[in-house]
Amino acid sequence: MADLATYLLTGLGLVFFIAGTVGLVRFPDQFSRLHALTKGDNLGLGFIALGVAFQAESWAQLAMLALIWVLALLAAGTVAQLVARAALTEQDKP
Amino acid sequence: MTRVLLTALIHRALLLGGAWLALTSAALEALAPGAVAVAVAVWLSLRLLPPKHPFALWRLARHVPRFVAGSVVGGVDVARRAFSPDMRLNPGWLELPSDLPDGARVALGGELSLMPGTLSAGTEDGKLLVHLLDTDAGFDRAIPREAEEIAAIIGQARSARG
Repeated sequence: MADLATYLLTGLGLVFFIAGTVGLVRFPDQFSRLHALTKGDNLGLGFIALGVAFQAESWAQLAMLALIWVLALLAAGTVAQLVARAALTEQDKP
Repeated sequence: MTRVLLTALIHRALLLGGAWLALTSAALEALAPGAVAVAVAVWLSLRLLPPKHPFALWRLARHVPRFVAGSVVGGVDVARRAFSPDMRLNPGWLELPSDLPDGARVALGGELSLMPGTLSAGTEDGKLLVHLLDTDAGFDRAIPREAEEIAAIIGQARSARG
């Protein structure tokens, strides 16, 4: 049962990682691409962490998985702004 | 010691101490070095990012379900567009006046970048620059509520408009 949940959730997570990458390739401008990458990967990692959590043997492993997701999404939110910012100033230059 | 500093000290000690316990599985032999490491980390964190505003942890906790729901909707939305043949994108920009302090504005920008259809590109002249994936989808309607909740976390009710 736990294995099934792991397969389903990590599989779903991979779908969102692929979606983020597909968006990165297909979306027309760098800002739209950032949307895909940031949101797709955030949700993808969330599902993978949740799926792996079903294999955890201790609370410490659960806490580590949660920590990984929280740190990654803090980084994603921050880096998305920085990249968008850099792209913006570049575009504004003549 | 001010109240703001004291709450920041307690929050950060709990956060970093919790991280240490998680990373070491609360092993007994790791407790002593952990006490030193956490103390130094809290000191460094207060040096690098001095607390300027009160911080209501319970409001942040209350905000989590909304954030998780937004993450799911945002991820599903970009995935649907990425896989659909025509993608239905109509990108555009929005300038948002915001009187949130700097750190809170960065937090709002980071959060918006993970919420459905919005992406922040920092601030210009006190205005938050928000990129919308689809200007027809009404993604911007959620922004005032996010700004309000972030303002409430740092004890500034009704400080964010627009």
